[in-house]
Amino acid sequence: MDAFEDDIITVKDMVKTYHLGEVEVPALRGVSLVIKRGDFLVITGRNGSGKSTLLHQLGLLDRPDSGEILLGGTDVTRLHEKRRTALRLRYLGYIFQEFALADELTALENVMLPSMMIESISSSKEKAMKLLDLVGLGGLERHQPNQLSGGEQQKVAIARSLVNDPVVLFADEPTANLDSVAAAEVMSVFKQLNEEIGRTVVMITHEQEEAHLGNRLIRLSDGEIVHEE
Amino acid sequence: MKSEDEAQQREAKALEEGPKISIIERKIPFFLISRHLLRGNKWTLALVIFLMSVAFINLVFINSLFNGIVEMADEQVIATTSGNITMQPSRGSQYIENTPSVIARVRATKGVVGASSRSTVPASLLYSGIEGNFQIFAVQPSGEKTTTNIYKKVMGGSYLSDSDTDSIVIGRQIAGGKGVEMNATSFKGAKPGQNVTLLIGGQARQFTIKGVFYTKYFEADRQAFITKKALEQMMPAAAGKASTVIIKTAKKGDEDAIIARLKKTVPGAQFLTWKEASGLMKSVTNSFVTIDALLTTVSFVIAAVVIFIIVYVDISDKRRQIGIFRAIGIKSYLVSSTYILQSTIFSVVGVLLGSAIFFFAIIPYFHAYPFKIPLGDVTMYVNIGGFIWRAVAVIVVSIISGMIPAILATRKPILDEIAGQ
Repeated sequence: MDAFEDDIITVKDMVKTYHLGEVEVPALRGVSLVIKRGDFLVITGRNGSGKSTLLHQLGLLDRPDSGEILLGGTDVTRLHEKRRTALRLRYLGYIFQEFALADELTALENVMLPSMMIESISSSKEKAMKLLDLVGLGGLERHQPNQLSGGEQQKVAIARSLVNDPVVLFADEPTANLDSVAAAEVMSVFKQLNEEIGRTVVMITHEQEEAHLGNRLIRLSDGEIVHEE
Repeated sequence: MKSEDEAQQREAKALEEGPKISIIERKIPFFLISRHLLRGNKWTLALVIFLMSVAFINLVFINSLFNGIVEMADEQVIATTSGNITMQPSRGSQYIENTPSVIARVRATKGVVGASSRSTVPASLLYSGIEGNFQIFAVQPSGEKTTTNIYKKVMGGSYLSDSDTDSIVIGRQIAGGKGVEMNATSFKGAKPGQNVTLLIGGQARQFTIKGVFYTKYFEADRQAFITKKALEQMMPAAAGKASTVIIKTAKKGDEDAIIARLKKTVPGAQFLTWKEASGLMKSVTNSFVTIDALLTTVSFVIAAVVIFIIVYVDISDKRRQIGIFRAIGIKSYLVSSTYILQSTIFSVVGVLLGSAIFFFAIIPYFHAYPFKIPLGDVTMYVNIGGFIWRAVAVIVVSIISGMIPAILATRKPILDEIAGQ
């Protein structure tokens, strides 16, 4: 990760509008922000405030209508999809609200998969085993997603997002589908990753208590940053 | 410090250019497909493969059935009426003269396994007050046995022997009886041991029905045979003459080459292959070939559509998974390759299963219970070239059917894929 200076991601005046038939729905209205190395940035806001849209743009899963996203100083906004895919693989980890695991793969194989793009199966397996241990799932590596609880599935997703040693983790309401105990466990994993390993985390949450777990907080409203601390 | 700077520069360059990914990533489709086969829904898997095999069987069944009809019809023509080659008198002549010598020369020709002279008997038959004009031939029974199989098709009584002078064998369509297709124009139930009268050139001569044969080929079953010896007793001038010589070759398909040799052996004589001699039958079989081509085209389109729908539905069902794979950085071509590989495996297994069902169930069944048509009993006849062509076509269609939805899916926005929109 040495190529990245302290400013890992810089967003400049990002605008995104959805078109629902003839109706235009502005999702982001000129958002600018900087994500620094080691940040645990929590993004909050009401439904429809643009949180997920912002995270999708940062995670290179979608493209803004205008504005720039600089990853390590390089403008990645209009890169070809092949390059964006490669950047997602190597530098960005993404955790979805619904876990987004492959049903036919075991926990271990789900975690291994991104690593297998760039490494041998044996080395991917070794890394995946370590990460499953790190998130507290040692011994469950042969379980398929449908044999795991929601919290365990989300931990598998976290382990998968870490397997290629990304510069930043994006988490889109990672505890929304979990009970309070599982949610607390998952949050403690994020906290551990940020505080003990120094991993940069950008997380969306609705939960007030989770909002204060980060070291930075942004509140969005109607596609604009209305509060930052 | 220097090495840290170099590492920084390398990372910066990689970020600028996009990370280089090695050939190692090509294991991904094999990895994913192996897991799908191991852990996917077995019923869905079995159903997809079964449908593929049914689509393939449909393609080969129709073709093999029509091949069987054509092959059976060809065999019937060769075995009961014309042999592989029919020799006719030279232009301007009514008869082939000096037949024993001609037969000997023909039999000595390379590729010929049998020859038999036939003389058309210009007569009618009278039985129980019913007079009918049928094709009546005078033959040398021992020679006939080397060229046709009528002697094996006697269903009542027995076949002629060379020394018979007052015996006749008649086809089932002449004998008639209950259930006989052409009963209306037959003797309506003539049986072996009964007498028929041969009316020839003002003479009437009694013959005993020695046997009734049934080849299942209606044209052959409208024939009657007496011996040469009997004809020569009635018409001494017919001695040593023949209307045609039926020639049996060792192998079907060699007729043209053998005719070329026969033309040197018997100069002046005319030779027709069984295809040329079969006349109406050839038109019938050509019609079957045309219908087969038409049905094959229709079956192929149906098979292509069925396979496309099967694969399309299967892959559409996995759109969310495709989106997830892309989101975590799996290259689009690897994702689409996975589903193309899946279609390939399904189609290959489908074709193998279809072949197994076809060769070990359908063909033996039709051998045991042939499909009965007025020309004869039809069994499946597999043209290996056509079979392979159809197998390859099914696999290619499957690959294309997998390729289209897989490529389309990987071109959609990732978030739409994950949301299943």
